[in-house]
Amino acid sequence: MNAQNGHGRILTICILATLIAVAICVQFIRIQNMDVAQQILDDSKAYQGVTRLVYPNRGNIYDAKGRLLAGNETTYEVGLDLNAILNGQEETIASAVSEILGMDYDKVLAYAMIEPGNGNPFYIQLDGFVSPDKILEFEALIEEYKNMELGRNQVRPRLNGLMWTAHNKRSYPEGTTGSNILGFYKYLDRTQGMGYFGVEETYNTLLAGTPQMVYTAFDPQKLSMLDEIPAGADIELTFNREIQAMAEQELDEAIEWSGAKGGTILIYNPKNGEIIAMANTPRLDPNEYWNYGELFPNPEPFNPTISKTYEPGSVFKAITVAIALDTGAIEMDTVYSDDGAYEIGGVEIRNWDYGAYGDVDMTDCMRWSLNTCLAWMAEEIGPDNFYRYLKAFGFDRNTGIDLGGETHWPLKLPGDSNWYEIDLATNAFGQGISVTPIQMAMTVGALANEGKMYVPHVVKAVIIDGRRYEVEPVLAGTPVSAETARQVTAMLTETLMDESYENAYIDGYTFAGKTGTGQIPTEYGYTNPLTNASFVGWGPSEDPQVVIYVWMQEPTRDIWGSQIAAPIFSKVVEKLVVLMDIPPDSIRLMNQPDRQVMEAGE
Amino acid sequence: MSTTTTPSQAYKQSPWRRQMQVIGAFMLVLVIVATIAGLYLSISGRAAAAGRRIQELEMQATTLNLEINNLRTRLAQVSSSHALNERISDLNMRILDPHTTIYLEVPGYSPDIRKGSGNQPAPVTAPKAKLLPEYTSSLWDWLREKIWTVSPQPSIIDEVTP
Repeated sequence: MNAQNGHGRILTICILATLIAVAICVQFIRIQNMDVAQQILDDSKAYQGVTRLVYPNRGNIYDAKGRLLAGNETTYEVGLDLNAILNGQEETIASAVSEILGMDYDKVLAYAMIEPGNGNPFYIQLDGFVSPDKILEFEALIEEYKNMELGRNQVRPRLNGLMWTAHNKRSYPEGTTGSNILGFYKYLDRTQGMGYFGVEETYNTLLAGTPQMVYTAFDPQKLSMLDEIPAGADIELTFNREIQAMAEQELDEAIEWSGAKGGTILIYNPKNGEIIAMANTPRLDPNEYWNYGELFPNPEPFNPTISKTYEPGSVFKAITVAIALDTGAIEMDTVYSDDGAYEIGGVEIRNWDYGAYGDVDMTDCMRWSLNTCLAWMAEEIGPDNFYRYLKAFGFDRNTGIDLGGETHWPLKLPGDSNWYEIDLATNAFGQGISVTPIQMAMTVGALANEGKMYVPHVVKAVIIDGRRYEVEPVLAGTPVSAETARQVTAMLTETLMDESYENAYIDGYTFAGKTGTGQIPTEYGYTNPLTNASFVGWGPSEDPQVVIYVWMQEPTRDIWGSQIAAPIFSKVVEKLVVLMDIPPDSIRLMNQPDRQVMEAGE
Repeated sequence: MSTTTTPSQAYKQSPWRRQMQVIGAFMLVLVIVATIAGLYLSISGRAAAAGRRIQELEMQATTLNLEINNLRTRLAQVSSSHALNERISDLNMRILDPHTTIYLEVPGYSPDIRKGSGNQPAPVTAPKAKLLPEYTSSLWDWLREKIWTVSPQPSIIDEVTP
């Protein structure tokens, strides 16, 4: 009877246990098939790992010699992990933060007192860009607290909950040098930051790289090595830091000396279109880009060299004479008889000094910069040819330089409602036509490079994933023949040796060049007493390696390009030949094979 | 008191012997399971430790990258044109005057040779490294690969950084 009872109890327990097990299994299955099952599964992922968007390091920008112009430096985000703050230590944290970061004590204390959760945040960012020096101060303070000798009932101060995380900040080690070319990166916006102006804007996508979503599991078994996130591409520029700094220094001194409103010094390689230096005013320190609005009040362009048009004046005569020679309208020895005035379209053109120069050849026309001669020359060329050439030189379009914000003045053409016959004459000596300095440098580059004109560019190479891709020069056209280019160079080399150009003279070197004094039109005509003084030069004449364009806006010391821009050109060349290792003619030409053969023959 | 033995009883093993066999078989299974479990635990432990180490190394790599960037920028700051010009002034040096420059002819030297050897920026991205499968595959994966694969092929690992 007892055995039977025992067996009955065991059987009951077994059945109960089985039922419970079955019930558990049913519950398992039920939970897994409930409507909220997927939601529970999704919620659980939050506890399995973390997914974050990783931004690659922004690419560096180097000059032509590999020196860093834009890079990244370490900065720290400082914040409060509210869960980790120890009771009673809120004041310690507030005191430390206010002392080191200069933040308001009460504000930090209020943050530290917040109870995390229930709608309150768990983390509060105090400052997104704290220098490493400040972090060292925090670390020293923690160490000091750790070693502090305490009296009885004294509580050790602690900074638990105060945390900092390192991240990158865009940095421009050269400050304002070349800033008009570089542009700037709005680094204070850490997620939506992007480049503005210059290389930072034009090549923003390349520099920024591709942000990637990265998942990191909390389970160490599921940890896997993160894929390498490639940094943004590095960019190597064509300009040389030393030459750029020199050009900027010369420009600053020139502005002070001449009383000009602003200015530009552009150094361009006519053989491949590389920009060697591009100095402008004003210049922004891209490390403090928030001063942009103050420094560039609307409508002042960030880079006047590519964005500001103006009437160039007589520097444009170099282009007109090249067109005249190339079309056969004139020969080098053609004589023009100047009586001090030339009538076209019912308007009388006069020379800059209202003088009459008599019989002059074409070199003299350029030497004395005779408006009458150039007006006559334009008529000889004819409007169709003249404007066809201006288009070939690219005056009707942007140069295509790889910098954001380029603009151009719309060229007035015969047949346009705003074109008059007089425009042919005035355009010939740089009036009634507007250009940007970069346009002038590129077109004159054709005269310096056997008629070939290259698209100006500032990027020499792009380095992606360790591979360097060189930017090939792009031929913008061949507006004039090599013979014409050589003739113009010879003509303007001869004129530069004249006494009247002594301000542009460079001892030991032969350069070709032309001054320009452009009047500034107002709504009432050319009534502004101030001018745009400019000078364009290229050389050494036998094998030009640089085109230098100087433009001073509204100088008050003197109005003439020969008095203002020419001496600046001379000073720039004197320093440039040293920085570019261009020996004087006496050394350089001696090493040329022709000269050596000739001397051996002699 | 005589005992009769049927032929089937004659071939039947004694109960204690059968008990021993059952216990032995059970113990064998237990040992095998324990061995596999121990092995799995050991591998899992090592994998977890390797995972943590990877995590640490990745954090270290991130920190080092930040430091490299920082140092590169700091170097550029202290050798910037402004900084160098200040040092030039402090040392009472001046920029070379082209008129006082003495040029020496070096036979066979061509400026073009030097132009080609300018300081080019060094590659900044390290070659990609992949983790060895030993650190990522589970014991199960290993068994499947080594035992169940009909014709096992040596796994090809490309671009492994030693």
